[in-house]
Amino acid sequence: MKLADWLARKSGLDIGSSKYSYSDDPVLGFTSSGKCSERWVNSTCGYCSVGCGMQLGVKDGRVVSVRGNPDHPVNLGKLCPKGLAEHYAIEAEGRARYPLLRRNGQLVRINWDEAIRTMVEQLRAVQDKYGPESLGVISTGQLVTEEFYTLGKLVQLGFGTRNYDGNTTLCMSTAVSGYKRSFGSDGPPGAYEDLEHADVILLIGANIAENHPILCTRLEANKAKTLIVADPRVTKTAMMADIYLSLKPRSDLALINAMLRIVIEEERYDANFISSHTTGFDELRASLEPYTLEYAAQITGLEPGMIRRTALLYANANAAFIGWTMGVNHSTKGTETVNAMNNLALITGNIGRQGASPFSITGQCNAMGTREAGFTSGIPGYRKFEDEKDRQQIADLWNLPVERIPTGRGLAYPDIIEGAVAGKIRALWILGTNPLVSFPNIDVLKRALDNLDFLVVQDGFHPTPTTELADLVLPTAIWGEKEGTYTNSERRVSKVNAAVAPPGEARSDFDIFLAVAESLGCREELFPGWSDPGDAFNEWRRVSAGRLCDYSGMTYELMNEIGGIQWPFTSEALSGASLPRRLYSDGIFPTEDGRARLLPTQWAPFPEQPSSEFPLILNTGRTVEHWHTRTKTGAISILQRMAPRAWLEMNPKDAQQLRLQAHDRVEVISARGRVSKVELRITEIVAPGQVFLPFHFAETNANQITQSAFDPISREPNYKQCAVRIEKSSANAAHA
Amino acid sequence: MELPLLTRVQEGGDLFRLATAETVATMTPADGAVGLLCGAGSQSRLPHPPGPGEQYRFHFDMTKCIGCKCCVVACNEQNGNPADILWRRVGEIEGGVYPHTQRHYLSMGCNHCLEPTCLTGCPVDAYSKDGLTGIVRHSADACIGCQYCTWNCSYGVPQYNPERGVVGKCDMCYGRLVRGQEPACASACPEDAIRIEVVKVAEWREHYRTSANSPGMPSADDSISTTHIQLPPKMPGDTGRVDLSCLRPEHAHSPLIVMTVLTQLSVGAFTSIGILQAFSTQPHRTAALIALLVAMIALAASTLHLGRPIHAARALKMWRRSWLSREVLLFTLFAFAATAYSAVLWIGMRGAAWLGLLTVILGICGVSASARLYLAPGRPAWNSPLTLVEFWATTALLGACCASILTLGAASTRYAVLLAFGFALVTTGLKLARLARSRVHELHGSWQLLTTVLSTHLLLRIVLPCVGLALLPLAATPWARIATAVVMIGGEWMGRYLFFVSVVPSNMASGYLTQEGA
Repeated sequence: MKLADWLARKSGLDIGSSKYSYSDDPVLGFTSSGKCSERWVNSTCGYCSVGCGMQLGVKDGRVVSVRGNPDHPVNLGKLCPKGLAEHYAIEAEGRARYPLLRRNGQLVRINWDEAIRTMVEQLRAVQDKYGPESLGVISTGQLVTEEFYTLGKLVQLGFGTRNYDGNTTLCMSTAVSGYKRSFGSDGPPGAYEDLEHADVILLIGANIAENHPILCTRLEANKAKTLIVADPRVTKTAMMADIYLSLKPRSDLALINAMLRIVIEEERYDANFISSHTTGFDELRASLEPYTLEYAAQITGLEPGMIRRTALLYANANAAFIGWTMGVNHSTKGTETVNAMNNLALITGNIGRQGASPFSITGQCNAMGTREAGFTSGIPGYRKFEDEKDRQQIADLWNLPVERIPTGRGLAYPDIIEGAVAGKIRALWILGTNPLVSFPNIDVLKRALDNLDFLVVQDGFHPTPTTELADLVLPTAIWGEKEGTYTNSERRVSKVNAAVAPPGEARSDFDIFLAVAESLGCREELFPGWSDPGDAFNEWRRVSAGRLCDYSGMTYELMNEIGGIQWPFTSEALSGASLPRRLYSDGIFPTEDGRARLLPTQWAPFPEQPSSEFPLILNTGRTVEHWHTRTKTGAISILQRMAPRAWLEMNPKDAQQLRLQAHDRVEVISARGRVSKVELRITEIVAPGQVFLPFHFAETNANQITQSAFDPISREPNYKQCAVRIEKSSANAAHA
Repeated sequence: MELPLLTRVQEGGDLFRLATAETVATMTPADGAVGLLCGAGSQSRLPHPPGPGEQYRFHFDMTKCIGCKCCVVACNEQNGNPADILWRRVGEIEGGVYPHTQRHYLSMGCNHCLEPTCLTGCPVDAYSKDGLTGIVRHSADACIGCQYCTWNCSYGVPQYNPERGVVGKCDMCYGRLVRGQEPACASACPEDAIRIEVVKVAEWREHYRTSANSPGMPSADDSISTTHIQLPPKMPGDTGRVDLSCLRPEHAHSPLIVMTVLTQLSVGAFTSIGILQAFSTQPHRTAALIALLVAMIALAASTLHLGRPIHAARALKMWRRSWLSREVLLFTLFAFAATAYSAVLWIGMRGAAWLGLLTVILGICGVSASARLYLAPGRPAWNSPLTLVEFWATTALLGACCASILTLGAASTRYAVLLAFGFALVTTGLKLARLARSRVHELHGSWQLLTTVLSTHLLLRIVLPCVGLALLPLAATPWARIATAVVMIGGEWMGRYLFFVSVVPSNMASGYLTQEGA
């Protein structure tokens, strides 16, 4: 600052009036002059799967403001605090700008040609030496669908490895597996609108007020509903409930099975729907024999009468909705729990109708996109590896011999990591995810990464705990800098548009994939004539045609116009683009016999029960201000100000016993490791015997203590419960 | 100061400037035509413009709020504020026993009070209560950054922006309202928990207690908040703020420590000089000059407290209403009188006694005004007559020490020191007892601060004057007299430091985690 300016400021002559002035913006109205924009770009939020429509205000080549798109059917102009501050992520200090290669232990800047060439050479060298499947690829739920589609072909057909999975396995694979087992296909059957029309809404392990706040608007709009929330912690959402079921950790499956038993015993089921559209009712009924109210009451800690009341409320509803998120998914019993919820919806006919759906509320902005168009646990378009017809069909669509199409899926995410520990996976390509914070029992992951011959990390941010370990860092464009589509939880495909160019030499993931394909020599075969995401989208539309996730009627123009279209949307249905659509309205399911399956499930205690050494149960979760591992939100000062660090919630009874005070710094210790110096919050939000720790914070990483226990079907980690003890940190921070 | 704002205005008094269309237009030209307000009702979510006897207010529906803090982000985006300045904040209150726990959220901008204490205290008239909307507006151009309003508001609404050197606050998005646009917070709220309403002022004055108060909020009595808080039908009896155990020392305001201690030293010194002159006719010319210098340093230091020292003179403006203005005015007059008095002593003119008397009266009035201004609703530990006593005690003690020096340790002045010491000690004791015994969070919090993180300081504050007292028997020797005075000044200095840092401001409940720390 010049002396004159400094003097003017210090004396008080200059009070920064221009910086703090206001002006009229045609879109925002009267607002801070700095937020007024030259042009507005429509897009879709890049955080969670609610899929809010946004408008990005651009001035002088910078995104200076955002607002909710008032015409978007999902959010009608509203955004959560992360969305409202999302433009700051673009200019975050920690953006990756240049390709970096590790030389003599240091990451040094290189050019793109060298980066792509090195990547292909190194990965190919590993594959030549250890076999094609020694390459593992771990992607994300945050690329655009066009990129997932491109990446899937590149990995499975270009690199020729099946060991490709997404971090979606850490959050949504349980819902996917559950849907596939019950209905024959993935795909949440309902629509957000159902929240406005259901007369009973049962949320299990879903804290939407914290994690999907914009969905709460729908609850608010539904005045006639009975909201039932089952959660061991009295979450923000639990406090909105008409009936709060304070069940014990991981007892949800017993609760649902007891509800099923009551519904059957008291003949509150829809016999017609069961006989016309399902199989397995008798086996289901037989499997429920143990789940008496008393047995379930003992497991869940709920009153028997309350369980019965909940069951009857659900069964007697005209339209009943079940929503769930990570409370169910993050479990070794997750898939079975999803199947049990599907059973409940099926035997009461609560599916395919307005207000009635078993609905998985997804996590990441485009987890759905990778489920539909990715090539990880299935072939794009919800096709099955095992199905010869599906393989033939996709081979024909791609003009490839059917032998090129893999006949089974490769390793799931946790198994890729195990594979690396065992030395079978020798090179890894990680895209848009930060496993050093997000993977359970982090020490296993560190061992896995140490074992690799070559690690490529492709990310919009650097340094992150993961990019710091990379041999090669590829800088990417993020939300606001690239084009494509996201699919939200209700299967609504919305357009994502570029408002500004990426920083430095960062490129869109799509461009990087094409460059890698070029270097591999498979670009013309796999991506003939492609130059932009629209080319991938057009091929994907053809590939999805006739499938459950049919995109064939969708165009970028139409999406831009109406703000998002739910699939299935065929070219014949052009007139009804904005109408809400539900799956299975005709009662026909994508199984061999067209019937949904009622599947017996068995409750079991969670794997690591508390012991005398580790007497408390740790629950993990989120806070509204932050997203996942905070690579984005940790760089946004307003969000950091509102949620600056982690805390540990503990019931006053436990605190008293441990002689701990509010704001004490404590150690959270499990059999695997410890989290140090977490600020203690003594609160009745958590039950005695349980503690809660948010997982966003790398500095106090919950995954130092979580365990390597996975759902046997979906391979999703059991993040939600493990046994811990709490000790006061030795160098206790001074607090009055 | 007790008369209600609007009554005063209606009575035609000029104590409060009520903004009219004209004054508003001149305050912030960008806002332009207030006439646009007529269009406010055109957007369905905004109520009709307030009529006579009405004003706008916030309606906050606690039953709908899910604590998402969209309003906080939207407010900062709207006003271009940095992240450490939040004109709208969200706090938490909690009660009940698991599983019947309830946590609720408070979202608060400005409460646009009927009797805004920010406005009444402001020495430069930077605040106005808008005649059409009742919105309490603040003019950054008029503000000198004295931050007195930040003490006076019991909700902690006005916030000082060090980057600008001025205070800022929520104006209910006045500029948006006059254009028929909803305020940013209300517009961003996904739960429709924040709305703008029209309230009938006279009715609200009668009934505000039931609707403006809430657990986690300071009493609406201080300023008659207009925000209508819709409370949940059933709240556990123990529902209260979650930030109670989170105490940290406040800003020390070093220029104000310098200013208050030195003005009191100077006034004490002039009092001693005056008395000695009256009884012994010794002029003590050098002492007067030093005391004058001390006063000048004190007054100069006070401007360093301002965000805009160049406009310090504006602080005189609101002497008819603001204790801060009165303090500045009285100390200015004191400085003039003291200058004249010192000059007369040097020249040896007649009438020195009368000038001395005037100096002393102005000085004591100045110290009193100085103390009186700290009786601010937003600072409960200060808001007691003990603050006046405390400032007088400092004046007496330091004055007595000066007298001891000037009389070369005369016995009578030693008794004066002893007496003043006792006075100061009792005052300190009473103050500590008040804090320790109080059940009011802010007062007991002060006690907790004083006895934990500030305990060493507190010990020094008590020990230093005792050391001074112990030196008193040696007052015959010059070094002991000087040492007594120095140690006593040190003790008072420490006392004033504690005065500023140990105060726990009244405020809305905050979240659980503080911003500072790990």
